[in-house]
Amino acid sequence: MEDPNTHDNVDSEKISESFLCCVCLELLYKPVVLSCGHISCFWCVHKSMDILHESHCPICRHPYNHFPTICQMLHLLLLKEYPIAYKRRENQILEEEKETGIFSPQFNSQAYNHGGDPASLSIMDFESKSPSDSLSTRKGEPYANLELLNSDSQVQDDGVCALIEIRNGNSEVIGNVSLKENTSKQVSVSDVLCLACKQLLLRPVVLNCGHVYCESCIIIPAGEMLKCQVCQTLHPRGFPKVCLELDHYLEQNFPKEYVLRRDAVQLKQVDFERSTESCKQGKNPPCLAEPHLNAHIAVGCDSCGIIPIIGDRYKCKDCVEKIGFDLCGDCYNTCSKLPGRFNQQHTPEHKFELVRPNFGSSRFRLVTVQLGDNSTSFLVGTYASEDSENGSPRPALPSDAQENADSSSAAIVASTDGGEDQTGSQSTS
Amino acid sequence: MMISGGRGGKSAPSASSSPSVSSTTTSWAVSASGKRIQREMAELNLDPPPDCSAGPKGDNLYHWVATILGPQGTPYEGGIYFLDITFPSDYPFKPPKVVFKTRIFHCNVDTAGVLSLDILKDSWSPALTITKVLLAIRAIFTNPDPSDNPIIPGIARLYLADRAKHDELAAEWTRRFAK
Repeated sequence: MEDPNTHDNVDSEKISESFLCCVCLELLYKPVVLSCGHISCFWCVHKSMDILHESHCPICRHPYNHFPTICQMLHLLLLKEYPIAYKRRENQILEEEKETGIFSPQFNSQAYNHGGDPASLSIMDFESKSPSDSLSTRKGEPYANLELLNSDSQVQDDGVCALIEIRNGNSEVIGNVSLKENTSKQVSVSDVLCLACKQLLLRPVVLNCGHVYCESCIIIPAGEMLKCQVCQTLHPRGFPKVCLELDHYLEQNFPKEYVLRRDAVQLKQVDFERSTESCKQGKNPPCLAEPHLNAHIAVGCDSCGIIPIIGDRYKCKDCVEKIGFDLCGDCYNTCSKLPGRFNQQHTPEHKFELVRPNFGSSRFRLVTVQLGDNSTSFLVGTYASEDSENGSPRPALPSDAQENADSSSAAIVASTDGGEDQTGSQSTS
Repeated sequence: MMISGGRGGKSAPSASSSPSVSSTTTSWAVSASGKRIQREMAELNLDPPPDCSAGPKGDNLYHWVATILGPQGTPYEGGIYFLDITFPSDYPFKPPKVVFKTRIFHCNVDTAGVLSLDILKDSWSPALTITKVLLAIRAIFTNPDPSDNPIIPGIARLYLADRAKHDELAAEWTRRFAK
């Protein structure tokens, strides 16, 4: 699997097949775990999600609607296990992000990106909650090493320190966080603990929020939805499947501890009945095999991750990032305080505007695409020709189209624009 | 958040033209898809699937040529089949285009060489690779699919009704076009 051309400096790190992304075929970077237990990179999942229908796992085709949050435990594990290759991936992805102008969540990135210190390692905040935290990770902020440390945050658990910055030589430690030496690169059991039982993960499952538990530590109260014990986020789609790649890794790297844990859990499990059926599927949207009339095409919720948003969509008016910040109706009503899925600098003070699903606009765009460039209908024909005149041969580029759709009468605007252009050019010629 | 839309299904227009001719291609997409294609190339050289070979035609990483040897025990035995593979700029989020350059008597390949293979269309998954695609094509040599999506209904009917006659014709075509 090793490519000699691109890997000359990573020879020392033999990357396990388990940690190669099935989409880009490279080391996983900012891994997300789907509810079927398969792992892929943040961007690989993002790019392969369906903007109109439910999405399917690239490996097993298991359907899903929610874009999971990055699994930070896995992220840290890979960073420790393959520091050189992971760093190389980070630079590579950052280059791509700079070109697109859309950035994945930046975890304490300043020191890492601008410090220029090759040996610097950054370990990011496990769950940055407060708005001030997300502010501190603002990109392009005057480079100050002042990362806020929320060691007093309620959500912090013992195993995971808050922001720790390890800089070779001139270590700057702010607050009361212990300094870790650069030498402690070896992955230890303390890096792979269950958030509930605080022991080595056994048959780990990763929830939609990115938090990892033992399969046997997940408890679902009868008739309720699975909820993360750390961040209280609901997990859609019933009981998640075990992340087998991670499980194999744990079994191989911590054989003794793993066997001990397995025996202990098996004893407990004599009368342990996994009640997946009783687990409510919750707010799964209606079947998305067919495009939903109320779907906001190519728009996802930044809190629960559902793509596309069905029904009401709340669009932040104050977030200036290209990616935008949106909430679905449910998350808006529950006053979600989660940070965005990207590096948006969203704060609770920001104002939202309600965007209603627009039957007309979505229909219109569907029609444009289905008919392609040929003008079976006048309306479609003008729209397409107008676009090609502007030198953009991709008439209904989803994000662009969605930008238009923010005004609820996108369809009409677009079509009349096209018509005016045509008549305009006719009169001048 | 906005989704740039990988498997956008029908709503994403096919930006599937190859990067060399498409002016809309952004360089990051090329670099990402290019890297992936390079990886596949390395993997293919390291562990080629049986009876198959594939590689870039010339300097352009996005245009490949592949060969499949007609599997033994089929009427295509002894034939060498050439295929053109074109990768879209948003590969692997869109499937590669695969076209037979050698004529073949097969109910899933039309006269222009276009295949009716579900994984090259709606059932494409970004986890699939050229190696897997070639294996799938090799599998329809052995087991044509006359029922689900035969692109040449006549050959499909013949295959189902008179297998011996079908095989005879297919072998004849193999001798004439694929050797």
